[in-house]
Formats: sequence, C-alpha cells, structure tokens
Amino acid sequence: MSSSDYAISVRNLGKRYLMPHRRGRGWRAHLREFFPAFAEQREDDYFCALCDLDLDVKRGEILGDIGHNGSGKSTLLKLLSRVTLPTPGRALLRGRVGSLLEVGTGFHPDLTGRENVFMAGALLGLPQREIRARFAAIVDFSGVEQFIDMPVKRYSSGMYVRLAYAVASTLESDILILDEVLAVGDAAFREKSQANIEKVAHDGRTVLLVSHNPRAVTSICQRAIVLDGGRCVFQGTAEAAVALYLRNLHGLEQSTTPTTDNNGFQNLTSDKKRVTDAQSVLRWVSLHQAEGIRTTQFCTGDTMIVRIGYAGTNVRWPYFAVFLLNDFAERVATFQSTHAGEIGAIAHAGVVECFVPQLLLGEGAYWLMSDFGEYHGGTLATCLDCVGNAINFRITLNGYVGGVGVSSYQGRVQRTRWQATATVLPMAIESPAPPSSRDADVKPQ
Amino acid sequence: MLEPTSTSLQQTLIDTTDANVIVIEASRVAPRIPFAEIYRQRELLGLFIRRQLATRYRQMALGIAWMLLEPLAQLLLISVVFGMLLRVESNGYPYTVYAFAGLTPWWLFSRTVLAVAGCLQDNLPLISKVYFPRLLLVLAAAAREYVDGLVAFVLLLITAASFGFLPSVKLLLAPLVMVLVSLTGVSIGLWFAAVMVRFRDVRPALGVALQAGMYATPILYAATLVPPTLREFYQLNPMLWAVEIFRWLLLDAPLVLTRSLPLALALVAVTLISGLLVFSTQEQVTVDVQ
Repeated sequence: MSSSDYAISVRNLGKRYLMPHRRGRGWRAHLREFFPAFAEQREDDYFCALCDLDLDVKRGEILGDIGHNGSGKSTLLKLLSRVTLPTPGRALLRGRVGSLLEVGTGFHPDLTGRENVFMAGALLGLPQREIRARFAAIVDFSGVEQFIDMPVKRYSSGMYVRLAYAVASTLESDILILDEVLAVGDAAFREKSQANIEKVAHDGRTVLLVSHNPRAVTSICQRAIVLDGGRCVFQGTAEAAVALYLRNLHGLEQSTTPTTDNNGFQNLTSDKKRVTDAQSVLRWVSLHQAEGIRTTQFCTGDTMIVRIGYAGTNVRWPYFAVFLLNDFAERVATFQSTHAGEIGAIAHAGVVECFVPQLLLGEGAYWLMSDFGEYHGGTLATCLDCVGNAINFRITLNGYVGGVGVSSYQGRVQRTRWQATATVLPMAIESPAPPSSRDADVKPQ
Repeated sequence: MLEPTSTSLQQTLIDTTDANVIVIEASRVAPRIPFAEIYRQRELLGLFIRRQLATRYRQMALGIAWMLLEPLAQLLLISVVFGMLLRVESNGYPYTVYAFAGLTPWWLFSRTVLAVAGCLQDNLPLISKVYFPRLLLVLAAAAREYVDGLVAFVLLLITAASFGFLPSVKLLLAPLVMVLVSLTGVSIGLWFAAVMVRFRDVRPALGVALQAGMYATPILYAATLVPPTLREFYQLNPMLWAVEIFRWLLLDAPLVLTRSLPLALALVAVTLISGLLVFSTQEQVTVDVQ
C-alpha cells in the first residue's frame, strides 16, 4: 500500500503531565509545581494522559475515538490539532487540518453573528474570501439569518451553537478533528450535522471523531479505537469497539463476545462482579428449556425458565428481577417478580423460578442480569444484591421469522400478519375515523 | 521529561519529505519562530486587531469617545496636581503640554508591556482549543495599543497647538519613534507573557514595576532635576530618550544626544531578540502549565 493512502500516522505518541501533589502537599510539592527544573522528579510524579499510541488512518476514513472520561481521547485530539505538544513520540498528518475541539471557539460575546462568523472561520483556517463566498450558505445552514447582526451574547444557546457549527461545517480541510460536536443542538440539527460529516468523508477527507454517543459512532464511523487509562485497548470495526466500550461501562466481562460454555448453570458466590457491594444473597442461576433441560442455547419463541438460588436473607417481602442485555450492554427485556403481584414471604434460603413463556428476541448473544431486593409496594424497592453478568446465553432465530431484516441484534422479533387490499383508500391522515369503522387495511384475522 | 527515543521509533506510513505533511513531535529545546506561518495567517492577525479594537468600546454609551476622554481626564488630573499644586519644574514650558509630551510615549509603552505580557493568559480559552502561531496574539496586542497611541498623539498635537506650539516637519518622525517605543514595550512584554501563565504573580508585580518606571523616567518632571553624577545610568533608560525626543519634536526642547542613546537602543535590541526566543520556546508548553 503506498504511503499516500494514509492521512494520519502516529507512532509511540504520548503525553505526560507532572503531578506535583502526588507525594505530599507542603512546600516541597509547591516547589515541584513552580520550579520543576530545580526539584527532583520521580517516575511516579508523572501522570500519563496518553501512552505509547500507534495509529494509522487511511484517507477518507471516519475513525471513532471512544473511551470513558479521562481515558485520553481528548488528549489525543489536542495533540493532533497541535494545541499541545507530545512528550514522546511523533505524529504525521497529511494535508490541511481543521480541528473543532469545542463548538464556538473564537466567538466573542460582544461581536455580532456576522463578525463572529469571519473570526471563527479564520481561526479554523478559512481564507476570508472563501467565508465571504459561503456566507449565505453558512447563515442558511444555521437558520439564524434574522439575528445575524445581533451580538451573539443575546443568542439562545441553540442559535449560538448552530451558527458556530455552521461555520465549521464549511471547512474544506483534508483532515477534520471533531470532539463531541454531535452532542449539540436538537435531533434535527444533529441529523443535519451527521449527514454533513458523512458527506465530508465521502469527498475523500478524513475524519477523527470523539464521541460519548455509541449510536453516533456505530452509524458514522467505519473503524474506531477504544482508549482506557491513556492506553489504546482496541482498534477495529466501530461495532466491536462500541460493544467493548459498553461492556466495560456496565462492568461486564472483557471478552469480546459472551461465552456460552457454562452448561446453563452459573455459581454466583465466586468472583462474580456485583453491582452493589451488599451481602451476596444470590447464590446461583440456571437456565432451562420448557422440559426443564439445562441449556444456554435457545431459539426465538422458545420458553425459558430461569432458576435463581438464594440464601441468607431475612427480607420478608422480596422482589426478584431478571434483565436481559444484548451484546451492546443495552437492556432489551425486564422481568420483575412484582409485575404480576409480588412473591409472598420467602424462606431464609431457597430457589425462585421465573417462567418466560416466549423469548421474542432476535438472534445473538445475551447477558442475564439478576437482581434481588426488598419490595415496599407500589414502585418502591431497595436493591440488596445484583449481579451484572450472572449468566450468558445465545438465541438462534431458527426460522421463527423469515425474509430480510433478520440479522443479529435487531431488537424484538414477533410474528405479524399483513394484508393488502386492492381498494384505493383515502390517506390515513385525511381520515380521522378509526380504521375499524371503514374496513381498514390492517386487521387481525 | 522523557526524551523522544527516535531510534526505537517504528517507521511511519507517511513520507516526511512531502511538503503537505505536518510533523508533530515532542517539544524541542530550540525555539522556532514560524515566520512563514505568520505571513500565511495575516488575515487572522487583521481580524484579531479589528476584534480587539471593536470590542474595547462595545456597549459603552460614549463608545469610541472614551479613546479621547481617558487620556484627557488623566492629563487634567496630572496638570492640576503636579503643575498647579506642586509646581514641578518643567524647564519653563507650560506644564500641561510638557507632561503630555512625556505621557504619550509612556502610555504607549506601559500599555504595550501589559497587553503583550497578558496576551497568552487573556486568550487561554482560545489557545487551548485551536492552533495558530501564538505570536499573532503579541502582534495584535501591540498593534491595538499602537492605534490607541496614535489617537493620544493627535490629542497631543491639538493640545500643543492650543498652547502655541505649532506642528513642524519634524513631527513626521513621531510615528517612527512610536514604533520604537512600541517595540520596547513588546520586548519586555514577550519576556513575561509565557511566565505570566505559570506565575500569576507577574501581573501585579509588573504593574508596580511600571509605576516605578514612570517615576524613573522624566515624564512628570524635567530630566535636569537628576544629579549629573547619576545621569549616565539614568540615560540608559530607553524611555527617557523617547520622552526627550518627543519634547524635541513638539516643543523644540533642546535634545542632547549622549553615548547612552546607542547603548539604550542596543539594550532594546537584545531584550527584543531574547524575548522572542523565550516566548517561542515557552509558548509551546503554555497550555500544559496554565
């Protein structure tokens, strides 16, 4: 592959900060802070915001950069946009770089929208004549034409942000660095800006995007990296990166896919990570088919029985709950013992059973979260024990439904009935009358 | 600091010899003054200057009139206190004009020092979010103060004329002298700009130092008040020469050039060059030490 196919190439990149107050607080730390050259530094005085990153981004690629707060993703963007210099390592960027680390950089509250458009444009590296040529388009994109000659301090925050983003959207740089900018504006504006980013990448420009929004990353980016504690823990497809990030976020296991080699039984007393640090009441969990056979393989539409063994509780009125989570750690089902009427008083130890008549979930791997606590009636309850990744299992569609749209993790799967009639009906919006009264197009058979 | 271990670096996938490639590396000790980049970004410089001038008097009822009112009010106070009450020696010239001729270059100098020294700290939100040559901020701050200085200069001309000192051809030198005064201010400001971000102590200390400097310069009094034995050191102050030349330009006051003048100019040149070097090395870490 020739070198011109790459837009960004990063080797051993890192950023270390001196933390003078790690050891002690007194005058020595004060000395270390203000005169680092004269004070002795030890290795543990440093904090590594980003360590040893190797990264190559192809031209025209949209790379997502995800991680928890403090994982180093903004540090990476700051290094690449030359706001701060790396301590070790080097990065090479091909072409003009436009970076948007914050929406509204360079906006002065006392200046009018018009003046600020020119200022912000110049800061992003746009020549004045280009801004002048595109001024109408910028104002149009932002939708604030009425107020363009008003100081921006009088703008609503939405208007402010839209105008600022509109300037940035006209950037024609080869590499675009964006930090959390999709988090601004209302849904319509977010959609507009997302379409804009996709267009940018379509033109062969490269985008590096930091976002906390997993949905945005999976829908916009092809590839993503996951940072954790300043280190890159994953590089690969956006879907896999997001799945890893979300599982970390929810305290689930580090493995990339749930393992199902547990024979449908899982002991919860050993090293299972508990969501609460309360006493461990939940002792084991097992999964069964309708006939009672223990398994981890289910088919859509199957019956599932969850048995939960518990011990060591004096709670008089308990609740038990089972949550099903998909591979993105999103909860897709909630089964509460209080849904239908609470379980009566329970013994000190025993087994509870949750009977799910039909598993109406699409194909994929799932996690089961088990929760236990005291029920106070109504919607009040106190959680006493909760195991995030109690057990995992897999669901196979097995022909429950056919046709298209049956790939993994598409949500709930349900058989539906469809019928078409030859009669041309008036548009639904023109006919407020309920469909049943006029022989509707969809009718249960 | 960890040294970049260039030997252990793996080969990057981008050819560094390409002119379009930006190389980002650990800060080198050598200062780098990006002249080419500053030239490329001259439009941004123009916008910075315009912005600073435009925002200074926004939302003030009297607006741009403050540009005139401020120096006039100060001048009035000083002439009343020092000229009428204390009767400070002014070599036989009307005190108001004499003091004003000294104050005009001094204001330019002290404001330039403060503006340049504060330019990084005042713009931290900006420089921590976007990259551009930081020297643009210095140039913009100096230019803004120069414009204010020109306004004060025009006021000075009018004041002098009203006292009977009509303008002469010599005055064409005045803008050039003001450029030198401005550079003197920039040279000192550069030294403190990067330091001020780490040590906030600098701002108040600088204020006190400038106050002292004002009394060390014959602005409110005549230089002849200083004992002759000290005069050679006293004349090393570049601002003394600026004030003396201004009085010569406007009031035709006698100007005696001594060997201290080239020394003072050399001092400015050394401070300016070293200031540029200090600034260009220190500004690279500004965002980290803020």
